[in-house]
Amino acid sequence: MQLAVNIAVLASIYALICCGYVLIYRVSRVLSLAHGELMLLGAYGLYATASLFKGHPLLALAAAAALALMVGAAVYLALMWRMTGESVLAAVLATIALGILLRGAMILVFGTQTQYPLRDLGWSNASVPVFGARISTVGLALVLATAAVYLGLFAFLRWTRWGIRMRAAGQHPLLAAQRGIGLHGVYALAWGLATFTGGMAGMLIACDAGLEGTLVIIGFKAFPAALVGGLDSLVGALVGSLVVAAAEVLLIHHVDPLLSDVVPFAVLLAMLAVRPWGLFGTREELDRV
Amino acid sequence: MRKLLCILALLAGAAHAQDAYVIGVSAAMTGPVAPNYAPVVEAMKAYLEHVDGRGGINGRKVRMVVLDDQAQPSRAATNAKQLLDQEKVPMLLNVSLSSTYAPMIAESKRTGVPLYFAGAVCPKETYPPADPLQFCSTAFGANLDSQAALAFVKAQAKDPVRIAFQAMAIPIARAEIDYAEGLSKTLGMTVVEKQISPPPAPDYTPFATKLVEAKPNWVWSWSPWVAQVRTFESMRRLGWNGKYLTWAHLNAEEELARIKDGDFYVVGTNAFLEDNLPVHAEIRAVAARAKLDYPVSYLTEGFVAGLVVEQALRNTPWPPTPQKVLAAMNNLKVDMKGLRGGPLEWTKDNHFRTKQYYRVWRWDRAGNRIVRAQDWQAIEVKR
Amino acid sequence: MSGYFRIRYSEDSALLDTRTQKAWFAAFLVALAVYPFFAGALWLDLANQVLLGSIGAVALMLLTGYAGQISLGHAGLLAAGAFTTGILCKELGAAFWLTLPASAAVGALLGLIFGLPSLRLRGLYLAVSTLALHFIVVFLGGEYETKRGFSTGIVIESPIASALGWYFALLAAAAATLLLALNLLRSRTGRAWRAVHGREAVAEALGISVQRAKLSAFVVSSTLTAVAGCLFAYFRGFVSAEAFSLYLTIQYVAMIIIGGMGSLLGALLGTAFVVLFPYVIDGGMRLLGVADRLASVVFAVNYAAFGLVMILFLVFEPQGLVGLWRRVQNWFQLWPFKQRPLAK
Repeated sequence: MQLAVNIAVLASIYALICCGYVLIYRVSRVLSLAHGELMLLGAYGLYATASLFKGHPLLALAAAAALALMVGAAVYLALMWRMTGESVLAAVLATIALGILLRGAMILVFGTQTQYPLRDLGWSNASVPVFGARISTVGLALVLATAAVYLGLFAFLRWTRWGIRMRAAGQHPLLAAQRGIGLHGVYALAWGLATFTGGMAGMLIACDAGLEGTLVIIGFKAFPAALVGGLDSLVGALVGSLVVAAAEVLLIHHVDPLLSDVVPFAVLLAMLAVRPWGLFGTREELDRV
Repeated sequence: MRKLLCILALLAGAAHAQDAYVIGVSAAMTGPVAPNYAPVVEAMKAYLEHVDGRGGINGRKVRMVVLDDQAQPSRAATNAKQLLDQEKVPMLLNVSLSSTYAPMIAESKRTGVPLYFAGAVCPKETYPPADPLQFCSTAFGANLDSQAALAFVKAQAKDPVRIAFQAMAIPIARAEIDYAEGLSKTLGMTVVEKQISPPPAPDYTPFATKLVEAKPNWVWSWSPWVAQVRTFESMRRLGWNGKYLTWAHLNAEEELARIKDGDFYVVGTNAFLEDNLPVHAEIRAVAARAKLDYPVSYLTEGFVAGLVVEQALRNTPWPPTPQKVLAAMNNLKVDMKGLRGGPLEWTKDNHFRTKQYYRVWRWDRAGNRIVRAQDWQAIEVKR
Repeated sequence: MSGYFRIRYSEDSALLDTRTQKAWFAAFLVALAVYPFFAGALWLDLANQVLLGSIGAVALMLLTGYAGQISLGHAGLLAAGAFTTGILCKELGAAFWLTLPASAAVGALLGLIFGLPSLRLRGLYLAVSTLALHFIVVFLGGEYETKRGFSTGIVIESPIASALGWYFALLAAAAATLLLALNLLRSRTGRAWRAVHGREAVAEALGISVQRAKLSAFVVSSTLTAVAGCLFAYFRGFVSAEAFSLYLTIQYVAMIIIGGMGSLLGALLGTAFVVLFPYVIDGGMRLLGVADRLASVVFAVNYAAFGLVMILFLVFEPQGLVGLWRRVQNWFQLWPFKQRPLAK
């Protein structure tokens, strides 16, 4: 039972990070390898607002979330719009370079010391019993947040105007543009939402474990989960995260904890060999030049 | 960067420089691991400047040339080359991650200049029989730490010991925990679990789960602080109530106050600020003068290194050459002023220290302060 | 009409044709030969690093710039070469003339493995599969280190001791690599690569075996990279898994992007740029007078500046340094005109 809880928490972490990858890829066909750094930026945002709004933790959280949303849109409007239409490698490299730039800038502004935003918010991470196993409060928050985010995104993409616009732009940008959909606006929104969810993931992980530079690597570890599920499918992101998280936790428990580092990539390789577009992804030509 | 600044300073202050003892340091001043090593260098620098202010060593000043290697082996190699070939230092120091050791050892062997490790774990070659050129004063002692830890566990335990181990998946930590596992069996303890976690793990709960399921009453963890403390916190959240023993890194004092758990023990060789020794006042004064912005509790290791360097250079007749410095270091006894359990002694055969002293601390919930769980225990460092 | 006519195919595919070119090249060779005797220790070391890096950069350029196969696993291949050397040195006490071909063989084998996904995948997915393979290789290297007790890395005796010796050895190696690359590109294989990069379907229709071309690109590139890894191991005198991080791959990719994709000169320029960049930043910081204040975070400044420069090149000068060089060349050659005439 404890294993199931652990898998749920880990899968939630991965899923929350993955939906950022999926959103951006689905809408603009760009793989954002700066997602880890954007997660870290979101977490630092929380640290900053927590010290600013001392005594009002909910306000700090809301402010940090809004900040993440705006930063995502800003990243698109400042840089990524120039990379539309360029080759795949150039776009991916632009995101990698952006990640490096953000990392350097964050260290310049915030330093390298480990921070503890949860303490600054004034909350503590107690342990909660659930179905005979134990889960931490932040872990529970992670699971609930992931569920809320996914439900919200499903509803948004299916029933709201902007959501339909996003789906249209993702399916066929040319037709969508000719139909009157402002592609730049849609892409900016996608980046904003992706950074918002990634930032939330970063904030929650920072609350659980402390805020330091290694958060970025966790963003990277979630990347195979997105690919296994299919880079343009939200359902796929959920399923992929579950698969990878389950593989990790079960391997740690029954085989060897060291393998947990390599297993996501081994699963990814297997997936690429058998079904490159993932479990739920659209079967593409795999060529976007 | 500092290195070019220092070269300019060297050219500019040539007259003064000729009268100074010069030592070269390659350190992880910046980069992800810098918080563990930069304070050591800054404290050492501040102490040596303080010594200069008091009249210097044998009437001459001491100058430290610090080059940043960002914990990267290739940079450490370049720095070593520069320090040895351009600055021609008679003593080389390494205050950086263990992956930078190999290139600096190679350079030190090439030029015959002694290499002093002051930041990270002491390499096995400094234990007797010691490699002629490698010296070390850092608190960690491979194998010795586990010996001290397990001795403490045995002394404290009232019931049969069911022990579990935790390490981060870096070669040094794994080697130490493997040794501890073997040692614990000879001490009659039951080993119930050993967990190695990759750096970094998004969630330490899976590893903690495995550990908790094995129902240990003691856990010994020897790793970078993050792995040690997060595994502990995860285990507590899973409802485990046993005793957790771990190594006291630079930030141990601060963290004990943050965690506030009565069964969380740290074992280490450096005195805590809590003891309020006279030398701590000295450290505070030196830090204030140099305007260091690290917590004072982080500066002990650097101060120790500063004391060692001062003594070694004091025993080196002018003009200093690598051979004279080596001779001084081969026969060194440094008074630690209470920062360690006893004096640091180097001999021709032992470049680590002849005796390693350990203390154990924990947090006292009732009194809301750090208390000593065990006072200085000496372990002989033999072949 | 320039008065210079080619009457043989060999002249057409020659690397240097006019006398001026040959003269400049000879002068360049002389400059290279006497450089180490005039350069200080630091500059000699930097030159060595540039030469060593250029081998890997040329290999990556062949793969990504010419054959168009994206590979993010470059550091893994370097690690493979370095670890093969380390393992053979420690287990068998093997000498240089054994480890070098062994590293090349391991590189070729890995190239085959890294290249297999390219038969089915393109672009993004190919990049990701090479990334996954990189992590696996580095993990295996780390496991070897731990299991055999080399927790601080594998120390290797280098056959060459002095920086001067290394300079000439690396110069020879880099020249050999460059010559190999140039010859491959002038040959059928190189033309096949270019065709596959351009349009796979058309290349297939022309009778070029696309699979052969892609695999050969991976194998050649990986062999060269593994050899570079072997040289790395000897140059540094040790091997450790931490040295082969993703950041190393990114640096190599930056070298070919900043240098200019699709040009061997670009590979060389890019390598020089990336290796010298941190020192340029330090110099810049000193000039601006902020060196003291930012001394403790200089690595972050390096990071940020590196990212910024990459972005600037990607956005404003996709043809990289070679593109810039061509622009400068054009300006001087065409003056007082500005553009080359459209009609030939």
